[in-house]
Amino acid sequence: MEVLEARNVTKTFREGSEPVPVLRGVSLSVVPGEIVALEGPSGSGKTTLLSILGCILSPSTGDVLIEGKPVDGRSEARLREVRRRSIGFVFQQFNLFPSLTALENVAYALQVKGARKTAARREAERVLEAVGMGDRKHFLPRDLSGGQKQRVALARALAGRPPIVLADEPTANLDSQVGAQALDLFRDLAKREDRAVLIVTHDPKVRDISDRVLAIRDGRLAA
Amino acid sequence: MTDLALKSLLHDKLRFAITVSGVAFAVTLVFVQVGLFLGLLGNASISIEKATADLWVTTRNTPNVDFARLFPEGYVQRVRAVPGVQRADNLIVAFLQVALPSGAEESMVTYAAEDLTAWGLPWNIDQGNVDDLRRGPYFFLDASAAKRFGPFQAGDYREVNGRRLQIVGITHGARSFTTTPLAFMDYEQAQALMSADARSRTSYILVKLAPGADREAVRAEIARRLPHNDVFTREEWARRSRTYWIVSTGLGINMGLTVFLGCLVGIVVVAQTLYTSTMEHLKEFGTVKAIGGSNGDIYAILAKQAAIAAVAGFALGAGMAYATRELLAHMDLRLVIPRALNAWVFAGALALCLASAMVSFRRIARIDPALVFRT
Repeated sequence: MEVLEARNVTKTFREGSEPVPVLRGVSLSVVPGEIVALEGPSGSGKTTLLSILGCILSPSTGDVLIEGKPVDGRSEARLREVRRRSIGFVFQQFNLFPSLTALENVAYALQVKGARKTAARREAERVLEAVGMGDRKHFLPRDLSGGQKQRVALARALAGRPPIVLADEPTANLDSQVGAQALDLFRDLAKREDRAVLIVTHDPKVRDISDRVLAIRDGRLAA
Repeated sequence: MTDLALKSLLHDKLRFAITVSGVAFAVTLVFVQVGLFLGLLGNASISIEKATADLWVTTRNTPNVDFARLFPEGYVQRVRAVPGVQRADNLIVAFLQVALPSGAEESMVTYAAEDLTAWGLPWNIDQGNVDDLRRGPYFFLDASAAKRFGPFQAGDYREVNGRRLQIVGITHGARSFTTTPLAFMDYEQAQALMSADARSRTSYILVKLAPGADREAVRAEIARRLPHNDVFTREEWARRSRTYWIVSTGLGINMGLTVFLGCLVGIVVVAQTLYTSTMEHLKEFGTVKAIGGSNGDIYAILAKQAAIAAVAGFALGAGMAYATRELLAHMDLRLVIPRALNAWVFAGALALCLASAMVSFRRIARIDPALVFRT
C-alpha cells in the first residue's frame, strides 16, 4: 500500500496580481521500503512538490494522502500533526541547531514531536549508533565534518520511525566520496527500517541507490 | 525538553552579555532612583514617624514639618483639657543659625520640647544623655552636620543664633528633606534663642491619646477648640510633608521620568538583541516548525530566553545597586531599598523582557517553514 501519494496536485503562487503556476497536476506514489529520486532543473517545481508532500505547503488543487489518509491542508495544526507523526526531513544544509550536541539535536526533534525526555534520549542514542555517530554524540555541529553533520541530520529524520523520509539535495554540500557513503547509509537504513524515501536531487549518484527516478519539468512529471 | 532556549542563549555569549547588561542597567537605574527618592522622602517625615505623638496640631495650612509657623503656646492648655487626651506638649521646630569657625553660617533644624524623651525624641543617640538638655545651654546635634559644619564632638561649643551652646550629645540619621541636620534642645533654651516676637509661641502641639480614646472624636474636639489650627493624625501629617516635597520640587516627576527612561532603554536593548537573534536564527526556527513545532513552541523558547535575561539582569543590576548603596552611604546619601521594591523591580524586569520578546513574536508567526528548503 502507498504510504505517500499525490493526486493531480497543482500549486499556483501569486507575484503581485500575476498567477504563477508552479505545479500543473502532479501525481505520484511511494510505497514502504522504496527509494524514489526526483530530478529536475532549477525552477521546475521540485522543492514546491517536496514542501507539499512534506505537509509544509498546501496544494492549490489536488490531494495528498499520507498513510492512505487525505491531508486536510486548510488546517495548519493538522499539517503540523502529520509532520510530527509521519515525516522525517533531511535538509541540504543539515539545519542542525548549532548550540546543541548531536545527541541533543536528535532528542530535541523527538521532543518537539511529543516524545518524553528519557525516551527521546534513548531513541536518539539508537539512531546515532545506527548512522555510526555513537562515538561523537556529544559533539557540537561545529566540531563535526560535513559528512558527520549529514549523518546526524539523517539520524534526526529517522528518529521516531516516521514512515516517510523526504530529503532535499542531501549530498549537495558533501564531496563525492562522503556523499556516496551517506547515500549508501541512507539506502541501508531505509531498506532495513522499511521507510518510503523521496530524494530531491541534482546528483546522478542518487540514481544508483534509487528504486525509481522521477523527472519534473515545468511543474509536470515527465514520462 | 532539551533546553534549546538556554543553550542557544549561552551559545552567543557576547549577545547574552549585551542583553543582560541592558536589563542590569535598567534595574540599577530604577533601584538607585527609587532608592534615593525613598531615602529623601524618609528624611521628609522621619521626625513625624519617630515621634510617638498620635496627633499633631499645626498652624493652618502648614505645608510640611520643617516649615513650621508659630502660634500661642497657651493653646496647649485647651488641648490638654480635651477628654481622651493623655498628654499634650508644645514642640518648637525652627531653623537656627550656627556660626562656623570659618565665619560662615549654616542652618540646623532645631526640635525643642520640655521633655523630649516623652515623645521618643531624639532617636539614634550615639553619645550623651537627653536629660542633660534641661540643665543649661546645651544641645544634641546629628552626626551628619559634620559635612556642613566641619568635624565636631561632644563637649565642643558652637555659636547658635549669637549664643554659645555646648554640644552634649550626638545622634545619627536625623536629617531634614534638604539634608539640613537636626538638633535637639530644651524648649526654653530654644525660645531664648529665637527672636522676641517668637517668645511664648510654639510650632506644634504633640498629642498622645489616652488608652481606648476615639482618635477621630478627639481630633474633632481639638479642631473645634482650636478653629484656626489644623489637626493631623501622624500618618496624615507624614504624608502631607512628603507630598509637599514631591510636588514642590518635581522630585516625583523627575524620578518617574528617569525610571521610565531607564525602562525604555532596557526594553530597546533587550528587544533589539532578541530581535536580531531571532532574525539570525530564522532558519533554526523554520526547522522547528518543519519538524512539527508550533509558533507556541518558538514563543516559549523566546519567552524563556527573555526570562533568563531578566533573572540574570536583575541579579547583576541589584548587585550593582546594593554596591552603589554602600558607596552613597559614604557620601551621606541614603539609598532605601525595601524588600517590596526588590519584588517590584524583579517583576518589572521580567515584564520588560517578556514585552521585549513579544516584539519578535510577529516575525516568528510569519516564518514559512518552507524556508528550510532554501539555500
